Amino acid sequence: MRNGAVGPCLVAISMCLAGCGGGAGGGKWVDRQPLPPDTMTTRMDEVGRHGGRFVAGATASPKTFNPLMANETSSNEIIQQMFISLTDVDYRTQDDIPMLARSWDYSDGGRTVTYHLRRGARFSDALPITSDDVKFCFDVVMDSTLHPSMQDALFMDVGGRHVPFRYSAPDSYTFVVTAPATDALILSHVANVRVLPKHVLEPAFRAGQFGSSYTTATPPDSLVTSGPWRLKSYLENQQTVLSRNPYWFGVDAKGSRLPYLDELVFRVAKDQDAAAQMFHAGELDGLDNVKAEDYKQYAAEAQAKSFVLYDVGPSFNTTFFWFNLNRVRKPEKGKRLGGPEVEPYKFAWFSSRDFRRAVSMAVDRDGIIRGPYYGYGSKAWSIMTERNQRWYDSTLTAPDHDPAAANALLDRLGWKDRNGDGVREDAAGHPLAFTLVYNGDNKLRQAIAALLQDDLAKVGIKLTPAGLDFNALLSKTRSERNYDACLLGLGSAVPSDPGMGANFWKSRGMTHYWDMEQPVGRPDTPAEARIDSLFQACVGTNDLAERKRAYSAMSRVLNDECFLIWLPTAELRIPVKSRFGNVHPSPMPHRILWDSDRIFDRHPGEK
Amino acid sequence: MRTFVLRRLLQTIPLLLGISALTFLLLQLAPGDFLATMAENPQISPAAIEAMRRRFGLDQPWWTQYLLYLRNIFLHLDFGESFSRHQPVFTVLRAGLANTLLLATSAAFVTWGLAIPLGVLAAVRQYGWTDRTLSFLAFLWLSVPEVLSGLLLLWLAASTGWFPVGGMRDLDYDTFGPLAKLGDLVRHLALPALAVGLIPLAGRMRQMRASLLDQLRLDYVTTARAKGLPESQVVVRHALRNALNPLITLFGFTLGSLVSGSFVAETIFSWPGLGSLTLEALNTRDQYLVMGSVLLASTVLIGGNLVADVLLAVSDPRIRQD
Repeated sequence: MRNGAVGPCLVAISMCLAGCGGGAGGGKWVDRQPLPPDTMTTRMDEVGRHGGRFVAGATASPKTFNPLMANETSSNEIIQQMFISLTDVDYRTQDDIPMLARSWDYSDGGRTVTYHLRRGARFSDALPITSDDVKFCFDVVMDSTLHPSMQDALFMDVGGRHVPFRYSAPDSYTFVVTAPATDALILSHVANVRVLPKHVLEPAFRAGQFGSSYTTATPPDSLVTSGPWRLKSYLENQQTVLSRNPYWFGVDAKGSRLPYLDELVFRVAKDQDAAAQMFHAGELDGLDNVKAEDYKQYAAEAQAKSFVLYDVGPSFNTTFFWFNLNRVRKPEKGKRLGGPEVEPYKFAWFSSRDFRRAVSMAVDRDGIIRGPYYGYGSKAWSIMTERNQRWYDSTLTAPDHDPAAANALLDRLGWKDRNGDGVREDAAGHPLAFTLVYNGDNKLRQAIAALLQDDLAKVGIKLTPAGLDFNALLSKTRSERNYDACLLGLGSAVPSDPGMGANFWKSRGMTHYWDMEQPVGRPDTPAEARIDSLFQACVGTNDLAERKRAYSAMSRVLNDECFLIWLPTAELRIPVKSRFGNVHPSPMPHRILWDSDRIFDRHPGEK
Repeated sequence: MRTFVLRRLLQTIPLLLGISALTFLLLQLAPGDFLATMAENPQISPAAIEAMRRRFGLDQPWWTQYLLYLRNIFLHLDFGESFSRHQPVFTVLRAGLANTLLLATSAAFVTWGLAIPLGVLAAVRQYGWTDRTLSFLAFLWLSVPEVLSGLLLLWLAASTGWFPVGGMRDLDYDTFGPLAKLGDLVRHLALPALAVGLIPLAGRMRQMRASLLDQLRLDYVTTARAKGLPESQVVVRHALRNALNPLITLFGFTLGSLVSGSFVAETIFSWPGLGSLTLEALNTRDQYLVMGSVLLASTVLIGGNLVADVLLAVSDPRIRQD
């Protein structure tokens, strides 16, 4: 499909097909632009037809359309439809796949990647996309005042120095990136940088106005995009409508241009209830956040209401709690630098590996699955859950429900209930009681916290759940650090690769929840020193087998220590109207529209 | 009259300053800031967050931030930028304000369009079954919380399909002709306007009824009846005109609540107004967006009360004398 001769005759065919049918904009779509020499053939189950639109729900409207300045989901899920990167990820296999770069080669022992760009790729304003545009975007990302969030991934600490990736564009269709050392995620880090038109944005960048360009106030016509979609209209807190980029280089197996749909609509539905209501009223075509308690009802109604309930399997989002092992890192009145943030007697419990293992054994995970998950949950023992084909390791486990063993372990520690109130006391007579904080507006976590309270009471530990406002929770766990234990979850990164979680795994990381910002090179425990070096091994090579071994090993250390008490993960069910073909919902965001260019409407123009 | 208005306008300056200082202080006291939620994302590094903190000026102590904020307002009329949107605050608030005003005005039409005729009807049929039924219904609606009545209307929309469940525009709005556009707007506006407009209905209707009854008892009405005018003329031409006077002031006061009165309904019906924007800004601690929206709502409130006072003065000459 990559030779020049095929393009024009395909245009002719699609012209002949034109004429009938409705579609969102009225009239059937006609491909008026010649196909580029380097088209990208998208694999799909079924060759679709053009026309129609898909209406998806979004919890908020986008805040900005600038891919390098956006930092939250509501913006990113729309931006990922409008702007492409050099490479992309296949959500089903987690493999890196070509996008603007039709191929790439490694050299220099994997440190250097040479990207070969597609010829004839165009922005939505018909101007060509070249390596010059890619280089411009890297210049923006590396800018020290703007400091976009993707910048830090393009730096590495080598020999105690903070060294940036080097990049160059030797010719219009070649882009070269060199990392200071071997980095397994070099493609992902480079793919974080989405391609923007230099000819539109360079003046703003030179004038220091880049941050406030491509905002929601930018007229849709002047928002030039590189991806399959461009902006058609935007209405704050209502909807964002995307229409196809007529110059997109993606084609189907028959060589006709993608995307199939005329329009992609993101309608704001503030919460799960509002979204469900809109789906039932026919105002949304798919729903990616159905409550587990409603799965049965959806399954029963699917046929009658003409939708398919896709079984996506266990979510990539994990749930866990941990004990506060944080040390005082900054000088503060009344606290000893390097000493524990919690009271010393509590620190003595929390830092005991046997205590944490006993707590893990007290948790009845099947009870949680039966209760708050309504049976739609599965046990998870690692950051990478079952449906993650590339990383899931079924041999990973941690101490599971065994109250008798938990009681025996606590007895052996000498912490027994001496005054008969049902709560154990430690040697100094402090009752084994602690508070578990969580975000109170999350009903699921509220229910889980209540079950944990019961489970721990059975082994003589008093857990008091405390639901907090999310902002209060964050400031408690991150800045004040004056809490006992916290229940939280982690969403999935794209790609869902352990290497994306440096901040979580590394002892100096900011989301190394239980003991954050440990001094570089001097972790608090030998176990964490081991995790640090295993993490380095996991990202320091391109050999997948070796990376997997390192990932499994560091997960095993984590589970052996019970730094996190793992809780079950939810099963995902995603309903989508059956009129749409080539739908493959994924646990990674955007769960329905990640491959929107191949989704098609079987009956465009009909209600 | 002119000095009265001028004095009131001057009074608003310290008032708005006080409101802004208090809001700013409360925002500082609330836990977390705009960057706290971002730090939760393992893909955003501490260095990137520190860079943002510097760029947004959040690394300064709060009083410095506040003084800078005031300086920019007085020197450049610059009310700051929304952190999340990278846009000037009032660019962001403009569309929301327009939608809120549209909803509030329609709700006011619902309230007054029903309150006056129904109040008159209740007054002329005093203690009859019409009067009792109307009062019962009005008070029933008054005692149902706005959240519940909103949800009931939403349920009506969802189960019948007569009205859209929330939102402001049909997806095909752009392809509609002008008449269809108007129809679409009315269809979307109907339920939220009802939800907001029916709440003060009971009160306004009873006030209309009482005020008309007061007039009907007066001598000039007896005179009018005695000289043989038909009852309809007595009520509409004579009594009603005088009875409307106190309601004009009441109307003025409702102007003050134009912006803030519909926040709950906006959330229930996903109406893209100032309410949802403000709530979101508060949740994400988008500091200057919250400030802008609070100042805007306060200005409308103060302005509304001023208009009410002026209306009162115009309708009742006794007030103007001093």
